[in-house]
Amino acid sequence: MKLIGTCKISKNGAFLNGKEVELFSSDTENWKKECYTNLNLDYSKFHKMDSLAKMAFLSTEIIKKEVDLSKYDENELTLLFANNSSSLTTDLKFINSYEVKGSPSPSLFVYTLPNILTGELAIRNKWYGENCFFIEEKFDVEFFLEQINFYFSKGSNACLCGWVESNKKNEECFLFLIEKNGKENIKEQLTTLYKQ
Amino acid sequence: MTYGSMITPIGSNSVENFSAMLREESGVDFVENSGFNNENWPLGKIKSLPNKNRYNTLLTEGCKQLTSKHGKEIFDSDETIVIVSSTKANLEDLPNDTFSSTRNILTDELGLKNKIVIISNACISGVIAINTAADYLQSNRYKTAVVIGIDVLSDFVVYGFQSLFALSNEPSKPFDKNRKGICIGEALGAVILTKEKINDDFHVEYLGGSSSNDANHISGPSRTGEGLFRSVNKSLERASVKSNDIDFISAHGTGTNYNDEMESIAFDRLGLIATPLNSLKGYFGHTLGAAGLIEVISTMKMMENNTLLKSVGFEETGTSRPINVLKNNLNKEITTVLKTASGFGGGNASLILKKVQ
Repeated sequence: MKLIGTCKISKNGAFLNGKEVELFSSDTENWKKECYTNLNLDYSKFHKMDSLAKMAFLSTEIIKKEVDLSKYDENELTLLFANNSSSLTTDLKFINSYEVKGSPSPSLFVYTLPNILTGELAIRNKWYGENCFFIEEKFDVEFFLEQINFYFSKGSNACLCGWVESNKKNEECFLFLIEKNGKENIKEQLTTLYKQ
Repeated sequence: MTYGSMITPIGSNSVENFSAMLREESGVDFVENSGFNNENWPLGKIKSLPNKNRYNTLLTEGCKQLTSKHGKEIFDSDETIVIVSSTKANLEDLPNDTFSSTRNILTDELGLKNKIVIISNACISGVIAINTAADYLQSNRYKTAVVIGIDVLSDFVVYGFQSLFALSNEPSKPFDKNRKGICIGEALGAVILTKEKINDDFHVEYLGGSSSNDANHISGPSRTGEGLFRSVNKSLERASVKSNDIDFISAHGTGTNYNDEMESIAFDRLGLIATPLNSLKGYFGHTLGAAGLIEVISTMKMMENNTLLKSVGFEETGTSRPINVLKNNLNKEITTVLKTASGFGGGNASLILKKVQ
Protein backbone atom coordinates (compact mmCIF):
# COMPACT_ATOMS: atom_id res chain seq x y z
CA MET A 1 0.00 0.00 0.00
CA LYS A 2 1.08 3.52 -0.69
CA LEU A 3 -0.42 6.78 0.54
CA ILE A 4 -0.77 9.06 -2.49
CA GLY A 5 -2.47 12.08 -0.99
CA THR A 6 -4.66 13.40 1.81
CA CYS A 7 -6.95 16.37 2.33
CA LYS A 8 -8.48 17.47 5.60
CA ILE A 9 -11.08 20.22 5.58
CA SER A 10 -13.23 21.84 8.22
CA LYS A 11 -14.06 25.44 9.09
CA ASN A 12 -10.56 25.58 10.58
CA GLY A 13 -8.97 25.31 7.17
CA ALA A 14 -7.98 23.08 4.27
CA PHE A 15 -4.86 20.93 4.54
CA LEU A 16 -3.44 19.20 1.48
CA ASN A 17 -0.96 16.47 2.44
CA GLY A 18 -0.59 18.13 5.82
CA LYS A 19 0.10 21.64 4.48
CA GLU A 20 -2.46 24.38 4.81
CA VAL A 21 -3.92 25.74 1.56
CA GLU A 22 -5.46 29.23 1.73
CA LEU A 23 -8.92 28.73 0.28
CA PHE A 24 -11.19 30.49 2.75
CA SER A 25 -10.95 32.65 5.84
CA SER A 26 -11.53 30.53 8.89
CA ASP A 27 -14.09 32.84 10.46
CA THR A 28 -16.51 32.62 7.52
CA GLU A 29 -19.73 30.83 8.32
CA ASN A 30 -20.19 29.76 4.73
CA TRP A 31 -16.66 28.40 4.32
CA LYS A 32 -17.62 25.67 1.87
CA LYS A 33 -19.02 28.14 -0.65
CA GLU A 34 -15.97 30.38 -0.28
CA CYS A 35 -13.74 27.36 -0.79
CA TYR A 36 -15.67 26.41 -3.97
CA THR A 37 -15.33 29.96 -5.32
CA ASN A 38 -11.61 30.12 -4.62
CA LEU A 39 -11.04 26.79 -6.35
CA ASN A 40 -12.36 28.46 -9.55
CA LEU A 41 -14.73 25.61 -10.29
CA ASP A 42 -17.67 25.69 -12.64
CA TYR A 43 -19.93 22.88 -11.43
CA SER A 44 -23.43 24.11 -10.65
CA LYS A 45 -24.47 20.77 -9.05
CA PHE A 46 -22.28 21.76 -6.09
CA HIS A 47 -24.83 24.28 -4.86
CA LYS A 48 -27.56 21.62 -4.56
CA MET A 49 -25.42 19.25 -2.49
CA ASP A 50 -25.77 18.71 1.25
CA SER A 51 -22.94 19.39 3.66
CA LEU A 52 -21.47 15.85 3.45
CA ALA A 53 -21.37 15.83 -0.35
CA LYS A 54 -19.97 19.38 -0.50
CA MET A 55 -17.09 18.50 1.80
CA ALA A 56 -16.28 15.25 -0.04
CA PHE A 57 -16.48 17.09 -3.37
CA LEU A 58 -14.21 19.97 -2.24
CA SER A 59 -11.63 17.61 -0.69
CA THR A 60 -11.47 15.60 -3.91
CA GLU A 61 -10.99 18.76 -5.97
CA ILE A 62 -8.20 19.90 -3.63
CA ILE A 63 -6.40 16.54 -3.92
CA LYS A 64 -6.68 16.86 -7.71
CA LYS A 65 -4.42 19.94 -7.50
CA GLU A 66 -1.51 17.57 -6.82
CA VAL A 67 -2.66 14.18 -8.05
CA ASP A 68 -3.97 13.39 -11.51
CA LEU A 69 -6.98 11.25 -10.61
CA SER A 70 -7.87 10.75 -14.28
CA LYS A 71 -4.93 8.36 -14.58
CA TYR A 72 -7.03 5.63 -12.95
CA ASP A 73 -9.13 3.38 -15.13
CA GLU A 74 -12.85 4.23 -14.72
CA ASN A 75 -13.53 0.85 -13.06
CA GLU A 76 -10.50 0.50 -10.80
CA LEU A 77 -10.96 3.27 -8.25
CA THR A 78 -12.97 2.19 -5.17
CA LEU A 79 -14.79 4.71 -2.96
CA LEU A 80 -14.94 3.81 0.75
CA PHE A 81 -16.49 6.33 3.12
CA ALA A 82 -17.64 6.37 6.74
CA ASN A 83 -19.01 8.57 9.48
CA ASN A 84 -20.85 8.34 12.78
CA SER A 85 -23.91 10.53 12.24
CA SER A 86 -25.06 9.18 8.86
CA SER A 87 -27.08 11.97 7.16
CA LEU A 88 -28.24 13.46 10.50
CA THR A 89 -27.99 17.15 9.49
CA THR A 90 -30.07 16.64 6.34
CA ASP A 91 -32.48 14.27 8.14
CA LEU A 92 -33.36 17.09 10.57
CA LYS A 93 -33.76 19.60 7.72
CA PHE A 94 -36.05 17.18 5.86
CA ILE A 95 -38.23 16.69 8.97
CA ASN A 96 -38.38 20.46 9.33
CA SER A 97 -39.60 20.75 5.72
CA TYR A 98 -42.79 18.76 6.47
CA GLU A 99 -43.28 19.54 10.16
CA VAL A 100 -42.69 23.28 9.97
CA LYS A 101 -42.42 24.48 6.38
CA GLY A 102 -45.54 22.80 5.04
CA SER A 103 -44.46 20.00 2.71
CA PRO A 104 -41.78 17.31 2.44
CA SER A 105 -38.93 18.57 0.28
CA PRO A 106 -37.82 16.11 -2.42
CA SER A 107 -34.49 17.89 -2.91
CA LEU A 108 -33.68 17.40 0.79
CA PHE A 109 -35.01 13.82 0.89
CA VAL A 110 -32.56 12.54 -1.73
CA TYR A 111 -29.68 13.61 0.54
CA THR A 112 -31.03 11.71 3.56
CA LEU A 113 -28.72 8.81 2.66
CA PRO A 114 -25.01 9.18 3.45
CA ASN A 115 -23.84 7.30 0.34
CA ILE A 116 -25.24 10.00 -1.96
CA LEU A 117 -21.84 11.68 -1.70
CA THR A 118 -20.15 8.72 -3.41
CA GLY A 119 -22.69 9.11 -6.21
CA GLU A 120 -21.76 12.80 -6.51
CA LEU A 121 -18.05 11.94 -6.76
CA ALA A 122 -18.76 9.17 -9.29
CA ILE A 123 -20.81 11.54 -11.48
CA ARG A 124 -18.25 14.35 -11.33
CA ASN A 125 -15.29 12.12 -12.15
CA LYS A 126 -16.92 9.33 -14.20
CA TRP A 127 -15.91 6.64 -11.75
CA TYR A 128 -17.79 3.35 -12.21
CA GLY A 129 -15.92 1.41 -9.50
CA GLU A 130 -17.15 -0.11 -6.25
CA ASN A 131 -18.63 2.04 -3.43
CA CYS A 132 -19.44 1.44 0.21
CA PHE A 133 -20.55 3.69 3.07
CA PHE A 134 -20.06 2.55 6.69
CA ILE A 135 -21.47 3.91 9.96
CA GLU A 136 -18.68 3.83 12.54
CA GLU A 137 -18.43 5.06 16.14
CA LYS A 138 -15.27 7.03 15.36
CA PHE A 139 -12.54 7.36 12.73
CA ASP A 140 -10.81 3.98 12.81
CA VAL A 141 -7.70 3.67 10.63
CA GLU A 142 -7.41 -0.08 11.09
CA PHE A 143 -10.98 -0.63 9.94
CA PHE A 144 -10.36 1.40 6.77
CA LEU A 145 -7.11 -0.48 6.06
CA GLU A 146 -8.91 -3.80 6.49
CA GLN A 147 -11.61 -2.78 3.99
CA ILE A 148 -9.03 -1.37 1.56
CA ASN A 149 -7.19 -4.70 1.65
CA PHE A 150 -10.41 -6.54 0.79
CA TYR A 151 -10.89 -4.39 -2.32
CA PHE A 152 -7.23 -4.64 -3.35
CA SER A 153 -7.42 -8.41 -3.10
CA LYS A 154 -10.53 -8.34 -5.33
CA GLY A 155 -8.74 -6.42 -8.10
CA SER A 156 -9.02 -2.71 -7.30
CA ASN A 157 -5.77 -0.76 -7.62
CA ALA A 158 -6.66 2.40 -5.75
CA CYS A 159 -9.08 3.45 -3.00
CA LEU A 160 -10.30 6.97 -2.36
CA CYS A 161 -11.48 6.92 1.25
CA GLY A 162 -13.02 9.46 3.54
CA TRP A 163 -14.24 10.14 7.03
CA VAL A 164 -16.90 12.79 6.48
CA GLU A 165 -18.99 14.02 9.36
CA SER A 166 -21.74 16.59 9.76
CA ASN A 167 -23.59 17.07 13.03
CA LYS A 168 -24.36 19.90 15.44
CA LYS A 169 -20.89 19.82 16.98
CA ASN A 170 -18.71 19.09 14.04
CA GLU A 171 -18.28 19.42 10.27
CA GLU A 172 -15.17 17.82 8.84
CA CYS A 173 -13.87 15.68 6.03
CA PHE A 174 -10.63 13.71 5.95
CA LEU A 175 -9.98 12.24 2.53
CA PHE A 176 -7.12 9.89 1.64
CA LEU A 177 -6.05 8.18 -1.54
CA ILE A 178 -4.22 4.86 -1.35
CA GLU A 179 -2.65 2.80 -4.13
CA LYS A 180 -2.12 -0.93 -3.99
CA ASN A 181 1.57 -1.14 -4.80
CA GLY A 182 4.02 -0.05 -2.15
CA LYS A 183 5.05 -0.81 1.39
CA GLU A 184 4.52 2.13 3.66
CA ASN A 185 3.43 2.43 7.27
CA ILE A 186 0.20 4.10 6.34
CA LYS A 187 -1.46 3.63 9.73
CA GLU A 188 0.80 6.10 11.52
CA GLN A 189 0.76 8.63 8.68
CA LEU A 190 -3.03 8.64 8.54
CA THR A 191 -3.45 8.86 12.30
CA THR A 192 -1.19 11.92 12.41
CA LEU A 193 -2.76 13.65 9.40
CA TYR A 194 -6.31 13.04 10.66
CA LYS A 195 -5.57 14.74 13.99
CA GLN A 196 -4.36 17.87 12.24
CA MET B 1 -24.47 -19.57 3.71
CA THR B 2 -27.66 -20.55 5.50
CA TYR B 3 -30.85 -19.11 7.02
CA GLY B 4 -30.71 -16.80 10.02
CA SER B 5 -34.06 -15.11 10.57
CA MET B 6 -36.78 -13.49 8.49
CA ILE B 7 -39.60 -11.29 9.77
CA THR B 8 -41.88 -9.65 7.22
CA PRO B 9 -45.55 -8.65 6.94
CA ILE B 10 -46.37 -12.22 5.77
CA GLY B 11 -44.36 -14.36 8.13
CA SER B 12 -42.08 -14.48 11.13
CA ASN B 13 -39.55 -17.02 9.80
CA SER B 14 -38.36 -18.24 6.40
CA VAL B 15 -40.69 -21.28 6.35
CA GLU B 16 -43.79 -19.20 7.13
CA ASN B 17 -42.78 -16.62 4.55
CA PHE B 18 -42.22 -19.18 1.81
CA SER B 19 -45.57 -20.90 2.52
CA ALA B 20 -47.34 -17.55 2.33
CA MET B 21 -45.58 -16.73 -0.94
CA LEU B 22 -46.60 -20.09 -2.41
CA ARG B 23 -50.18 -19.09 -1.59
CA GLU B 24 -49.51 -15.80 -3.42
CA GLU B 25 -50.14 -13.82 -0.26
CA SER B 26 -49.00 -10.23 -0.32
CA GLY B 27 -48.13 -8.23 2.79
CA VAL B 28 -48.87 -4.96 1.02
CA ASP B 29 -52.10 -3.36 2.20
CA PHE B 30 -53.62 0.10 2.42
CA VAL B 31 -52.58 1.97 5.58
CA GLU B 32 -54.98 4.70 6.67
CA ASN B 33 -53.65 8.25 6.83
CA SER B 34 -50.12 7.12 6.02
CA GLY B 35 -49.55 9.92 3.50
CA PHE B 36 -48.55 13.50 4.14
CA ASN B 37 -52.01 14.63 3.06
CA ASN B 38 -53.63 11.71 4.89
CA GLU B 39 -53.64 9.47 1.81
CA ASN B 40 -54.08 5.73 2.39
CA TRP B 41 -50.93 4.40 0.73
CA PRO B 42 -50.46 0.67 0.21
CA LEU B 43 -47.51 -0.34 2.41
CA GLY B 44 -45.86 -3.53 3.61
CA LYS B 45 -46.55 -3.10 7.31
CA ILE B 46 -45.81 -5.69 10.01
CA LYS B 47 -49.04 -5.53 11.99
CA SER B 48 -47.65 -7.07 15.18
CA LEU B 49 -45.10 -4.27 15.72
CA PRO B 50 -46.03 -1.49 18.20
CA ASN B 51 -46.42 2.07 16.90
CA LYS B 52 -43.60 3.28 19.13
CA ASN B 53 -40.22 1.59 19.23
CA ARG B 54 -40.79 -0.35 16.00
CA TYR B 55 -37.13 -0.57 15.03
CA ASN B 56 -35.82 -1.69 18.41
CA THR B 57 -38.66 -4.20 18.79
CA LEU B 58 -38.02 -5.74 15.38
CA LEU B 59 -34.25 -5.90 15.83
CA THR B 60 -34.59 -7.47 19.29
CA GLU B 61 -37.04 -10.06 17.93
CA GLY B 62 -34.69 -10.86 15.03
CA CYS B 63 -31.79 -11.41 17.44
CA LYS B 64 -33.90 -13.65 19.69
CA GLN B 65 -34.77 -15.78 16.66
CA LEU B 66 -31.10 -16.09 15.77
CA THR B 67 -30.11 -17.28 19.23
CA SER B 68 -33.08 -19.61 19.66
CA LYS B 69 -32.28 -21.26 16.31
CA HIS B 70 -28.48 -21.34 16.46
CA GLY B 71 -27.63 -21.01 20.15
CA LYS B 72 -25.60 -18.17 21.69
CA GLU B 73 -22.12 -19.65 21.26
CA ILE B 74 -21.86 -18.92 17.53
CA PHE B 75 -22.45 -15.19 18.12
CA ASP B 76 -20.52 -14.87 21.37
CA SER B 77 -17.26 -15.90 19.69
CA ASP B 78 -14.18 -13.89 18.82
CA GLU B 79 -14.23 -15.61 15.43
CA THR B 80 -17.63 -14.11 14.53
CA ILE B 81 -18.27 -10.77 12.85
CA VAL B 82 -21.73 -9.17 12.56
CA ILE B 83 -22.61 -6.87 9.68
CA VAL B 84 -25.77 -4.77 9.68
CA SER B 85 -27.47 -3.31 6.61
CA SER B 86 -29.87 -0.42 7.23
CA THR B 87 -30.69 2.79 5.42
CA LYS B 88 -32.28 4.75 8.27
CA ALA B 89 -32.00 2.57 11.41
CA ASN B 90 -33.96 4.04 14.34
CA LEU B 91 -35.36 7.42 13.26
CA GLU B 92 -37.17 7.71 16.61
CA ASP B 93 -33.76 8.49 18.12
CA LEU B 94 -33.47 11.79 16.21
CA PRO B 95 -32.11 14.38 16.91
CA ASN B 96 -29.57 11.97 18.39
CA ASP B 97 -27.52 9.37 16.51
CA THR B 98 -29.90 6.95 14.76
CA PHE B 99 -27.50 3.98 14.71
CA SER B 100 -26.36 3.73 18.34
CA SER B 101 -29.36 1.66 19.51
CA THR B 102 -28.42 -0.90 16.83
CA ARG B 103 -25.05 -1.52 18.48
CA ASN B 104 -26.58 -1.65 21.96
CA ILE B 105 -29.30 -4.15 21.05
CA LEU B 106 -26.95 -6.44 19.14
CA THR B 107 -24.42 -6.44 21.97
CA ASP B 108 -27.11 -7.14 24.60
CA GLU B 109 -28.88 -9.85 22.62
CA LEU B 110 -25.98 -11.60 20.93
CA GLY B 111 -23.11 -10.92 23.35
CA LEU B 112 -20.67 -10.06 20.61
CA LYS B 113 -16.88 -10.08 20.98
CA ASN B 114 -16.00 -8.04 17.89
CA LYS B 115 -16.98 -4.63 16.64
CA ILE B 116 -20.23 -4.40 14.65
CA VAL B 117 -19.88 -3.33 11.02
CA ILE B 118 -22.76 -1.16 9.79
CA ILE B 119 -23.37 -0.49 6.11
CA SER B 120 -25.73 2.27 5.01
CA ASN B 121 -25.62 2.46 1.24
CA ALA B 122 -29.26 2.99 0.25
CA CYS B 123 -31.17 0.13 -1.40
CA ILE B 124 -28.05 -1.88 -2.27
CA SER B 125 -26.91 -2.06 1.40
CA GLY B 126 -28.07 -5.67 1.86
CA VAL B 127 -26.24 -7.08 -1.16
CA ILE B 128 -23.06 -5.14 -0.31
CA ALA B 129 -23.31 -6.38 3.30
CA ILE B 130 -23.32 -10.02 2.12
CA ASN B 131 -20.39 -9.26 -0.21
CA THR B 132 -18.53 -7.71 2.74
CA ALA B 133 -19.30 -10.75 4.91
CA ALA B 134 -17.70 -12.95 2.24
CA ASP B 135 -14.62 -10.66 2.25
CA TYR B 136 -14.25 -11.18 6.02
CA LEU B 137 -14.44 -14.97 5.67
CA GLN B 138 -11.96 -14.99 2.81
CA SER B 139 -9.51 -13.01 4.94
CA ASN B 140 -9.41 -16.07 7.26
CA ARG B 141 -9.70 -13.93 10.37
CA TYR B 142 -13.26 -15.02 11.06
CA LYS B 143 -15.07 -18.35 10.88
CA THR B 144 -18.57 -16.91 10.88
CA ALA B 145 -20.13 -13.75 9.45
CA VAL B 146 -23.71 -12.85 10.34
CA VAL B 147 -25.53 -10.35 8.14
CA ILE B 148 -28.67 -8.62 9.42
CA GLY B 149 -30.72 -6.33 7.16
CA ILE B 150 -33.41 -4.16 8.72
CA ASP B 151 -35.55 -1.09 8.05
CA VAL B 152 -38.96 -0.08 9.41
CA LEU B 153 -41.78 2.13 8.15
CA SER B 154 -41.80 5.77 9.19
CA ASP B 155 -43.54 8.99 8.19
CA PHE B 156 -40.06 10.22 7.19
CA VAL B 157 -39.55 7.58 4.50
CA VAL B 158 -43.17 7.49 3.26
CA TYR B 159 -43.36 11.30 2.99
CA GLY B 160 -39.97 11.31 1.25
CA PHE B 161 -40.94 8.86 -1.47
CA GLN B 162 -44.29 10.64 -1.76
CA SER B 163 -42.49 13.94 -2.34
CA LEU B 164 -40.58 12.31 -5.22
CA PHE B 165 -43.89 11.08 -6.74
CA ALA B 166 -42.43 7.57 -6.52
CA LEU B 167 -45.24 5.87 -4.55
CA SER B 168 -47.83 3.63 -6.17
CA ASN B 169 -51.47 4.13 -5.15
CA GLU B 170 -52.09 0.38 -5.59
CA PRO B 171 -50.00 -2.66 -4.62
CA SER B 172 -46.85 -2.42 -6.73
CA LYS B 173 -46.54 -4.27 -10.06
CA PRO B 174 -42.82 -4.62 -10.82
CA PHE B 175 -41.98 -4.93 -14.55
CA ASP B 176 -45.67 -4.74 -15.51
CA LYS B 177 -47.01 -2.48 -18.26
CA ASN B 178 -49.28 -0.72 -15.74
CA ARG B 179 -46.77 -0.30 -12.93
CA LYS B 180 -47.20 2.92 -10.99
CA GLY B 181 -44.34 3.01 -8.54
CA ILE B 182 -43.03 1.76 -5.24
CA CYS B 183 -44.80 0.43 -2.15
CA ILE B 184 -42.57 0.88 0.90
CA GLY B 185 -42.33 -2.00 3.35
CA GLU B 186 -40.54 -3.08 6.52
CA ALA B 187 -38.71 -6.27 7.39
CA LEU B 188 -35.74 -7.94 8.99
CA GLY B 189 -33.70 -10.64 7.31
CA ALA B 190 -30.53 -12.38 8.46
CA VAL B 191 -28.18 -14.95 6.95
CA ILE B 192 -25.16 -16.74 8.36
CA LEU B 193 -22.03 -17.24 6.29
CA THR B 194 -19.53 -19.85 7.42
CA LYS B 195 -16.59 -21.75 5.99
CA GLU B 196 -18.37 -25.07 6.59
CA LYS B 197 -21.96 -26.28 6.99
CA ILE B 198 -23.18 -25.53 10.52
CA ASN B 199 -26.36 -27.62 10.66
CA ASP B 200 -28.63 -29.80 8.54
CA ASP B 201 -30.43 -26.79 7.07
CA PHE B 202 -30.16 -25.98 3.39
CA HIS B 203 -26.91 -24.17 2.50
CA VAL B 204 -25.76 -22.32 -0.59
CA GLU B 205 -22.24 -21.47 -1.68
CA TYR B 206 -21.36 -17.82 -2.22
CA LEU B 207 -19.43 -17.59 -5.49
CA GLY B 208 -18.76 -13.87 -5.85
CA GLY B 209 -20.18 -10.38 -5.83
CA SER B 210 -19.44 -6.72 -6.58
CA SER B 211 -20.84 -3.22 -6.85
CA SER B 212 -20.62 -0.49 -9.48
CA ASN B 213 -21.76 3.11 -9.66
CA ASP B 214 -23.76 4.43 -12.65
CA ALA B 215 -21.79 7.72 -12.51
CA ASN B 216 -24.95 9.26 -13.93
CA HIS B 217 -27.56 10.61 -11.46
CA ILE B 218 -28.05 10.57 -7.68
CA SER B 219 -31.75 9.69 -7.67
CA GLY B 220 -32.47 8.19 -11.10
CA PRO B 221 -31.07 5.07 -12.75
CA SER B 222 -28.83 5.13 -15.81
CA ARG B 223 -30.76 4.87 -19.10
CA THR B 224 -28.30 2.23 -20.31
CA GLY B 225 -28.19 0.18 -17.09
CA GLU B 226 -24.47 0.97 -16.98
CA GLY B 227 -23.69 0.30 -13.33
CA LEU B 228 -25.85 -2.83 -13.15
CA PHE B 229 -24.26 -4.16 -16.36
CA ARG B 230 -20.76 -3.55 -15.00
CA SER B 231 -21.51 -4.98 -11.56
CA VAL B 232 -23.02 -8.21 -12.92
CA ASN B 233 -20.11 -8.66 -15.33
CA LYS B 234 -17.66 -8.22 -12.48
CA SER B 235 -19.58 -10.65 -10.27
CA LEU B 236 -19.68 -13.26 -13.06
CA GLU B 237 -15.93 -12.89 -13.48
CA ARG B 238 -15.25 -13.20 -9.74
CA ALA B 239 -17.57 -16.21 -9.49
CA SER B 240 -15.95 -17.78 -12.59
CA VAL B 241 -19.31 -18.41 -14.21
CA LYS B 242 -20.75 -17.33 -17.57
CA SER B 243 -24.07 -15.58 -18.08
CA ASN B 244 -25.56 -18.76 -19.60
CA ASP B 245 -24.75 -20.62 -16.36
CA ILE B 246 -27.25 -18.40 -14.51
CA ASP B 247 -30.50 -20.34 -13.99
CA PHE B 248 -32.49 -17.63 -12.27
CA ILE B 249 -32.32 -13.91 -11.39
CA SER B 250 -33.70 -12.40 -8.20
CA ALA B 251 -34.05 -8.89 -9.61
CA HIS B 252 -34.51 -5.58 -7.79
CA GLY B 253 -37.76 -4.58 -9.60
CA THR B 254 -39.14 -1.69 -7.55
CA GLY B 255 -42.15 -1.03 -9.76
CA THR B 256 -41.08 2.42 -10.94
CA ASN B 257 -40.99 3.12 -14.66
CA TYR B 258 -37.33 4.07 -14.87
CA ASN B 259 -35.87 1.43 -12.57
CA ASP B 260 -37.60 -1.57 -14.13
CA GLU B 261 -36.85 -0.34 -17.66
CA MET B 262 -33.19 0.12 -16.72
CA GLU B 263 -32.98 -3.43 -15.38
CA SER B 264 -34.47 -4.86 -18.59
CA ILE B 265 -31.82 -3.02 -20.63
CA ALA B 266 -28.99 -4.24 -18.40
CA PHE B 267 -30.20 -7.88 -18.46
CA ASP B 268 -30.54 -7.73 -22.24
CA ARG B 269 -26.98 -6.37 -22.59
CA LEU B 270 -25.78 -9.16 -20.29
CA GLY B 271 -27.32 -11.93 -22.42
CA LEU B 272 -29.82 -12.72 -19.66
CA ILE B 273 -33.00 -11.76 -21.49
CA ALA B 274 -34.42 -15.32 -21.47
CA THR B 275 -33.37 -16.18 -17.91
CA PRO B 276 -36.37 -16.59 -15.56
CA LEU B 277 -36.56 -13.77 -13.04
CA ASN B 278 -38.82 -12.25 -10.44
CA SER B 279 -39.10 -9.24 -8.20
CA LEU B 280 -40.33 -9.99 -4.67
CA LYS B 281 -41.39 -6.39 -4.00
CA GLY B 282 -45.01 -7.41 -4.75
CA TYR B 283 -44.98 -9.67 -1.65
CA PHE B 284 -43.21 -7.40 0.86
CA GLY B 285 -43.02 -3.93 -0.66
CA HIS B 286 -39.60 -2.32 -0.93
CA THR B 287 -37.98 -2.91 2.45
CA LEU B 288 -34.84 -0.84 1.69
CA GLY B 289 -31.95 -2.08 3.87
CA ALA B 290 -33.70 -5.41 4.49
CA ALA B 291 -34.59 -6.04 0.83
CA GLY B 292 -31.33 -7.70 -0.23
CA LEU B 293 -31.47 -10.07 2.75
CA ILE B 294 -35.11 -11.17 2.56
CA GLU B 295 -34.84 -11.58 -1.22
CA VAL B 296 -31.71 -13.74 -0.90
CA ILE B 297 -33.39 -15.86 1.80
CA SER B 298 -36.52 -16.29 -0.38
CA THR B 299 -34.30 -17.24 -3.32
CA MET B 300 -32.56 -19.86 -1.16
CA LYS B 301 -36.03 -21.25 -0.31
CA MET B 302 -36.78 -21.47 -4.05
CA MET B 303 -33.51 -23.35 -4.60
CA GLU B 304 -34.25 -25.68 -1.68
CA ASN B 305 -37.80 -26.43 -2.87
CA ASN B 306 -37.13 -26.45 -6.64
CA THR B 307 -39.96 -23.94 -7.03
CA LEU B 308 -39.56 -20.54 -8.63
CA LEU B 309 -42.02 -17.99 -7.26
CA LYS B 310 -44.01 -15.82 -9.60
CA SER B 311 -43.41 -12.09 -9.66
CA VAL B 312 -46.56 -10.92 -7.87
CA GLY B 313 -48.27 -8.02 -9.65
CA PHE B 314 -46.79 -8.82 -13.07
CA GLU B 315 -49.25 -9.49 -15.87
CA GLU B 316 -48.01 -7.95 -19.11
CA THR B 317 -44.54 -7.02 -20.36
CA GLY B 318 -43.93 -3.39 -19.58
CA THR B 319 -40.28 -2.90 -20.45
CA SER B 320 -38.68 -2.22 -23.83
CA ARG B 321 -36.66 -5.46 -23.57
CA PRO B 322 -38.89 -8.55 -23.17
CA ILE B 323 -37.24 -10.12 -20.11
CA ASN B 324 -38.58 -13.42 -18.73
CA VAL B 325 -40.60 -12.28 -15.71
CA LEU B 326 -42.35 -15.23 -14.04
CA LYS B 327 -46.15 -14.99 -14.30
CA ASN B 328 -46.75 -18.28 -12.50
CA ASN B 329 -44.91 -20.39 -9.96
CA LEU B 330 -42.66 -22.84 -11.78
CA ASN B 331 -41.34 -26.21 -10.64
CA LYS B 332 -37.74 -26.20 -11.74
CA GLU B 333 -34.41 -27.19 -10.27
CA ILE B 334 -32.01 -24.28 -10.24
CA THR B 335 -28.32 -24.45 -9.37
CA THR B 336 -26.78 -21.02 -9.95
CA VAL B 337 -28.60 -17.77 -9.22
CA LEU B 338 -27.91 -14.06 -9.58
CA LYS B 339 -29.18 -11.47 -7.08
CA THR B 340 -29.12 -7.80 -8.07
CA ALA B 341 -29.96 -4.47 -6.45
CA SER B 342 -29.90 -0.84 -7.54
CA GLY B 343 -30.48 2.33 -5.59
CA PHE B 344 -30.10 6.02 -4.84
CA GLY B 345 -26.61 7.41 -5.17
CA GLY B 346 -26.29 5.53 -8.49
CA GLY B 347 -25.35 2.32 -6.69
CA ASN B 348 -25.74 -1.16 -8.15
CA ALA B 349 -24.69 -4.44 -6.56
CA SER B 350 -24.91 -8.12 -7.38
CA LEU B 351 -23.90 -11.53 -6.09
CA ILE B 352 -23.97 -15.12 -7.32
CA LEU B 353 -25.00 -18.16 -5.26
CA LYS B 354 -24.79 -21.86 -6.02
CA LYS B 355 -26.70 -24.76 -4.54
CA VAL B 356 -24.51 -27.02 -2.42
CA GLN B 357 -25.00 -30.49 -3.97
